[in-house]
Amino acid sequence: MHSKQDNKPRLLWLQGVTCNGNTHSFLNLPYLPLLLDKFEVLYYPAMEALHSFEEISACKLSCDVLIFEGAYDPLMKRNGVFMKEMLAHYAATAKHIVAAGTCASFGGMFKEAASHRNSGILFNEEEMNGPLLKHKKRIINLSGCPIHPEWMGYTLSMIANDQTVITDELHRPVELYSNLAHHGCTRNEYFEWKVDTKGFGQKEGCLFYEQGCRAPMTHASCNKILWNEVSSKTRIGTPCFGCTEPDFPRTELFQTKTNMSIPEDVPLGVPKRSYLTMAGIAKTFHIKRLEGKLIDYKTTD
Amino acid sequence: MARVTKEERKNGIISAALKLFSEKGFYITTIPDIAEKVGMSVGNFYNYFKSKDILAKELVLYISEYLGNQIREINDREISTEEKIYEIISMYFNMADEKPEMIEYFLRVYLSNREVFGDGCEGMICVSPFVTEMMMFFNDGVANGDLHDQDFFSAFGLFMGYLGGMVFLFGEKILPEPLEWYKESISQNIYNALKTR
Amino acid sequence: MITRQLIEQIEGEASVYFDIKEKKVNFATVTFPHFRGMESILEGKNALDSLVISPRVCGICGHAHLMATVRALEDAYKNAGCEIILSEKAEKIREFTLIMEMIQNHFKWLYIVIIPELAKLTNSILEKKPLKGAYAASLAAKAIAIFGGQWPHSSYMIPGGVTCDPTQIDILQAQNHIDELISFFERESLGIALDKFLSFESCKDFNKEIQSDITLLEESLIVADMNHKGLAYDRFIVMGEHDFTHVAKLKQTRAFGVDSKYVSTVEAYSPQENTYAYNALYKDEYYETGPLARMMSISLPIIKNMHRRYKDSAYSRVMARVFEIGYMLNYAKELLQNIDILQESVVNVADIKKISASGLGIVEAPRGPLLHNIEIKQGIIQNYKIITPTQFNIGSSTIEKPTSVQIAMKGTTKEDALFIFRTFDVCSVCTTH
Repeated sequence: MHSKQDNKPRLLWLQGVTCNGNTHSFLNLPYLPLLLDKFEVLYYPAMEALHSFEEISACKLSCDVLIFEGAYDPLMKRNGVFMKEMLAHYAATAKHIVAAGTCASFGGMFKEAASHRNSGILFNEEEMNGPLLKHKKRIINLSGCPIHPEWMGYTLSMIANDQTVITDELHRPVELYSNLAHHGCTRNEYFEWKVDTKGFGQKEGCLFYEQGCRAPMTHASCNKILWNEVSSKTRIGTPCFGCTEPDFPRTELFQTKTNMSIPEDVPLGVPKRSYLTMAGIAKTFHIKRLEGKLIDYKTTD
Repeated sequence: MARVTKEERKNGIISAALKLFSEKGFYITTIPDIAEKVGMSVGNFYNYFKSKDILAKELVLYISEYLGNQIREINDREISTEEKIYEIISMYFNMADEKPEMIEYFLRVYLSNREVFGDGCEGMICVSPFVTEMMMFFNDGVANGDLHDQDFFSAFGLFMGYLGGMVFLFGEKILPEPLEWYKESISQNIYNALKTR
Repeated sequence: MITRQLIEQIEGEASVYFDIKEKKVNFATVTFPHFRGMESILEGKNALDSLVISPRVCGICGHAHLMATVRALEDAYKNAGCEIILSEKAEKIREFTLIMEMIQNHFKWLYIVIIPELAKLTNSILEKKPLKGAYAASLAAKAIAIFGGQWPHSSYMIPGGVTCDPTQIDILQAQNHIDELISFFERESLGIALDKFLSFESCKDFNKEIQSDITLLEESLIVADMNHKGLAYDRFIVMGEHDFTHVAKLKQTRAFGVDSKYVSTVEAYSPQENTYAYNALYKDEYYETGPLARMMSISLPIIKNMHRRYKDSAYSRVMARVFEIGYMLNYAKELLQNIDILQESVVNVADIKKISASGLGIVEAPRGPLLHNIEIKQGIIQNYKIITPTQFNIGSSTIEKPTSVQIAMKGTTKEDALFIFRTFDVCSVCTTH
């Protein structure tokens, strides 16, 4: 008879071309010990687990949940073994395959390390032609540079509970990627009334018009499920760089691309004509409250 | 006899008002003048427009929508930016020729009686359909590489200021030739000023 | 005979090739087999894009890379005749988040790497509790995120300052996270109050009556004789300008000035396997960098005492890192108390497209000096060069001129050598970037 312990899904975390950012981001999960307890961790890059990498790279074991972090490079070896072989071996029997981060999902930052051959495990940017194509039904993409710990937490919890994770056409869980990064941003009112920020380092104003913010065009719940439980890029005045999307990293990241002052990209699904009409009218009104400082620190006598 | 719809009556008032404003001037024209011209009672007129100021604002919106629709139709055509410039200018001059009261109203009433349009018609509100289409025109022109990237209002001012000036000269009967005659050269000038360098 | 050992849990992998003679390491070389080409990814991009790209060099110390980048950019502005003077507020916030990342790093290294490895080596009662390290690190990351929006991979430092505009509530929340972290450190690691720990002046002060993770660690290091093993050149270097340490080159305890122009790199020596690493040298000599170097340069009594007794042994290296956690927690608290939120977060700077110049940014990363050298032409990166602290510590050279780690492993058993290797806190992804 199997003990309860034996029934835990076996989890394996492999790495392609990576910075380890997803590994470290995941360690920030508030309920990490409880979650890890639901799995038998065969290998995790930042922490001792059941097996050494020597054992893992021998490709004699199998796993139930395979997590892959980093861009896929067909020529890469780890411990002298082609990652290509290791990935194929473990993917063949894994019930769930999770791409952790934008590199593993679409190629991301480290597609640029060798752009002609590197890709994600299922997608090469938007094109679905990655090395694990035949396993596509079992692949969940958790894009983000890095992944948000709660996104991985949600996915692994659903898997541990035997619940189905519904995904979008880019294989990202709809619960995590239906929101835009814009949703919940503390600067929303400035966006509505088209009040640009007067530069970086201000609580006030929207970063969409000049500073390059991609939040209204980016599927991510960064402003719904906060980072490190406390904040997000846009809340502290850094533009969203669209790191969950297949075209990350774009260029000229701190500047909004405009054509004759008209933003090249407008909020997702909004026709540009409608956007310009709305924006032009909203700009007409000068809302005094939104033009000044949000907080007046002058003391009253 | 078919019943005249409320919308048609409204449009009737708009054309009559435009004509009167351009013939007699905005301040001199009264509501009874307009009512008389469309053949309705003053009381009935107020069912359509609560005041002369409200009518004035509706007129701007009406013209802006008319212009916006015309430019949109040009924007949607599969032609080069250079050709679009020519088409917009033709359309505009044509309108100045055939419906001078519209352009007159826009230039003489809207732009010179800002106090009337302060409340509810400020900024982009009443001219938005027209300006939005011009934004689309410039945006597309830069996006496809025909026009050089610059501030919107710098480009908009160059384009519309030029046309407004020509129509003004035409209205003042200073132009020796009909507007039509200038289309080609003006299109060239505008395109040369805006094109990618 | 040469034997290969795969090293894991060092932010990627490395191989150490041991030449063992009479059960002792006669010589060892180190191979870093992976390469991403961060420098070429940066070239040709808008210089400001480096603020987004370079943190992605490393998942555990990306914030230090961000700060090195922003310093390099600001140096380029200065060299182009547009000197940038930061507000004190921006300086302090940057320093604060940099320190919190360092603390995050040290906690992970302590609980995920050093304690488990030492436990294996000594069969001691040291308990493996890696998740304690992860928890403490996540508290430090929270404090960073209040100002930086997120950790890892924030890009909140920009030429002229920081993008955040914190309120007093933000400062208070950061203070609460620090207080929670301090109390965690006292309760779970030290077994005594932080103040008391920081008042230690001698290795003897580690209270043997109280049993805590730290006293057990100290004891186990002695049991493993690590106070007499793992000695390198007894030469240290600190290069990043910060208020928490002094820029200096130390030969034993004698301090000298430092000029970054003497830093050079040479291709690592790795006869068995292809490596992508370059060794970093100062005036053609190998130095040790990191917490021990930083603590030595400010002549902290406890570290001086340690050094007098045990020199630059593995013991000193480990304990200095542990001590730095306490020292930095205290310093971080002080920094927060002195932030004036009414000052500007960012000062106006010229458009980057007008800048054509080179710039050098140096910071103290968790493992020591991190150098970013940028060359910009009309705002576009022409050349980018990164030198990381692991390149100083974990170079791989020939037997005639061994690097710090090579000399530290020499003459010990292979098992000891593997532990000593990790006392330097190796970062593989940074090394080859």
